Parts: sequence; structure tokens; C-alpha cells
Amino acid sequence: MSELQLLYNYLIVGALLFGIGLIGFLSRRNMIVMFLAAEMMLQGVSVSLVAWGRFHNDWGGQVLVVFIITVAACEAGIALALVLMLFHRAGKLDIAFWQNIRESNQPRFVDHELPADGEAVGQHWPKLTPSGIEPPAKEEELVHRIHV
Amino acid sequence: MLGQQWPYAVATLLFAAGMWLLLPRARPQGRPIGAGLVCAGLALLTLLVHFGLAVGVEGQPYWSWQAGLPHGGAAAVDIVFLVLAAVTVLSAVAAVTLPSPVYCAIWFGMTLLGTAALFLYQGAQFLALATVVVYAGAILVTFLFVLMLAHPEGDAYYDRLSWEAMLSACAGAVLVGILTMTTLQAFRDPGPTISTKAQSPQVAQARATGILASEHVASLGGQLFSSHLVSVEVAGTLLLVALVGAIAIVAQASGNRLDRMGHVGEMGRAEATGRAVGGPTHV
Repeated sequence: MSELQLLYNYLIVGALLFGIGLIGFLSRRNMIVMFLAAEMMLQGVSVSLVAWGRFHNDWGGQVLVVFIITVAACEAGIALALVLMLFHRAGKLDIAFWQNIRESNQPRFVDHELPADGEAVGQHWPKLTPSGIEPPAKEEELVHRIHV
Repeated sequence: MLGQQWPYAVATLLFAAGMWLLLPRARPQGRPIGAGLVCAGLALLTLLVHFGLAVGVEGQPYWSWQAGLPHGGAAAVDIVFLVLAAVTVLSAVAAVTLPSPVYCAIWFGMTLLGTAALFLYQGAQFLALATVVVYAGAILVTFLFVLMLAHPEGDAYYDRLSWEAMLSACAGAVLVGILTMTTLQAFRDPGPTISTKAQSPQVAQARATGILASEHVASLGGQLFSSHLVSVEVAGTLLLVALVGAIAIVAQASGNRLDRMGHVGEMGRAEATGRAVGGPTHV
């Protein structure tokens, strides 16, 4: 490949990585998967930077990618600590659980259609015999959990 | 002008529809079709890029493959690059769309390896190594570690749901389509600066002593610690601050857990009952 072909091929791979990461960040609800998607967008930018650096015969692109990796490591450390803290408070990784911090003029999000139970897709858990009186379920939990 | 852009629109549409079908939804139907559509969209994009189908000159049909290549040369299809790019992009698609977060993390590791190989292919040896060591070795393992800590119960319902799968798939696909189109059209009529920059013998000679020099890591280190010394120091400080911040956040969280277990007095107990409901209590 000529240098020019190399450049635009890499730019398009970078655009694809960025776009796929964008789709994942916008659509997934698991906080950890959202951070994976954000890291994927950073990867797309890194690919483009390395390609430009090669094309212009300049070290700036690669140096910038070194700093991107540094910042990504910091980001991952803090983000995962934050995710763990949120998990300890909420008991789940669902980002929809934290929708109370949305703008006050936005409507509340409610799941209209829940997916089939895990057993329908091949998961099996041991069943325990229920004992005692079932406590009343909270409304907040009824919205988000299918088992109560 | 607009008539030349329909292949990009087709590729974008195929990609968006495939991503929509692949993303987890309440009724997961048509995922094989989605995978096929994504592959078709990416293949069409590859054709557009490599054979210049849509960078055709006005008046020539799209199927005259070599008509519109930049600089009029025949397409040099680079098998190694194609394989690396396919591995990277397809595992990125898998990492974003699979329901189980553990598989997402593992496929993201595959994306990282593909990216590292792409870096190596560009001659960026140190970055390839750093990507494997830092990303795949440290960050990804931390992701998996947190998943094991926080996700002991198998697939949760929220992993099998998406926010607005169709809208986000369209947004991402349109972004990719527009970026591809503008990139290729910018290189369709490259200005004199670009073409001379890429081909002049002076540049070729500079390359031998510049970014493709044999002592790659030494040169990169020289650049880092001469022109970018302050940035390196700031990055080191940033790492330290991030370390302190992460420890502070986790320490605060474990303090809350102690509260909830009732090891504190009345004030802490009242606070703990408020928290046991989960999250901020106002609606």
C-alpha cells in the first residue's frame, strides 16, 4: 500500500471503532460495558493518531497516544472504583437505577417490556423452598426486577 | 454529486440495521440476520475503500473498479491489513453487542490485540507493546475483576436490554458513514501538498531517519523526554492523583457498607436505612 492508502484505511478503521464504541456507550445499560465502549472510542482515536503521525513523519501522534493510554489507565481505575461503589449502594450494575439524578423536566424511564427469564436462555439455578411470609415488595423494585 | 454517494448510504443502512438486530433487546430475534447485515455493510465499505467504487469520477460507472482510485492506480489490496482490520472491527462489534458482560470484556481484549497489531503494522512498536501490556494486561483484567466482584449471578435482565437500540445504532452508523465519505472524498482530489508529501524522495529519506527509524523506542523516548518532558511529569502526577482518588472512593464505599451492617450509632443507622432502599430517595 502507498502511504496515502495506508492513511485513509487506518482513518476508516478508527472511524469504525469510534462509531461502534459510540453505539455501545449509547445503548448498553451495564456500567462496565459502557466503560468498555468508552475505551473502544479511545482506541479508535489512537488508531487515527498513529496513522496521521506516520503520514506526516511526526512523532506527535505516537506521543499523544502514549498520553491517551496513561489517561485511559487513570480513567479505568477511577471509573471502576466508582462502579464498585455504585454497585454496593444499588445491588446492581444497571445505569437505569440512577435515573433519579436526571434533569427535573425529563420523564421517568420505565421498562415496558422485560426480556425472558434467564432460564429461557439456558441458565439454571437451584430452587429453594420458600418459607415464612413473603414481605411486601417496594414499588421501586417492582419496576426494575422481574423476580419480585 | 449526490448521486455518487448512494453506496455509502447503503453501507450505512446495512450497518445500522445489523447493529440494531444484534444489540440485546427484550425479544432477541434475528441476531444471525443482524450479524449477516453487519458483515455485508462492512464488506461494502471495504469494497468502497479498496476499489474506489464510489470515488469514481463523474460520468464513469461505479463498477469500473479502477476508474476512480486516488491517483488512478490499481488498488493494492493488502491482505495482512484486511485481516487485521476485520479481526479488530468484528470483535469490536461482538464486544458491544453480546449480552454477557464477561464475553464483552473478552472480545474487547481481542479488539485490543487487533489494534496492537495495527499499530505494529504502522511501525509503532512501542505503542503496540504498551497497548497489550497496559490495556489487555492491566485495564482489561481490572474490568474482569470488577465483573467477578459485582456480577456473581449470571446474566442480569439489564444486560439483555438496551436503551433505544435503533436510535443509537443509527447514530453510530451515520457517524461512520459520514466520516468514511468525507475521508475518501477528501483524498479523491488530494491537493498538491498531500500528494507531494506522500511521494517526494526527500520525505522518503526523512522517513528512514524519522518515524520508521530502526531505533524506534530510543527515538520515541528521546521525543518524550525532550519536547514533551513537562507533559510526562503532568501525566505522572495524574496517575498519582487517580490512584489517591480511586482509594478515596473505595474507602468511602466500604464505610457505607459498615454503616449498613449497623456497626455505628443512631445517626449512622438512620442514614443506613435511607441508603438500604438504594440510591437517592427522592423521585
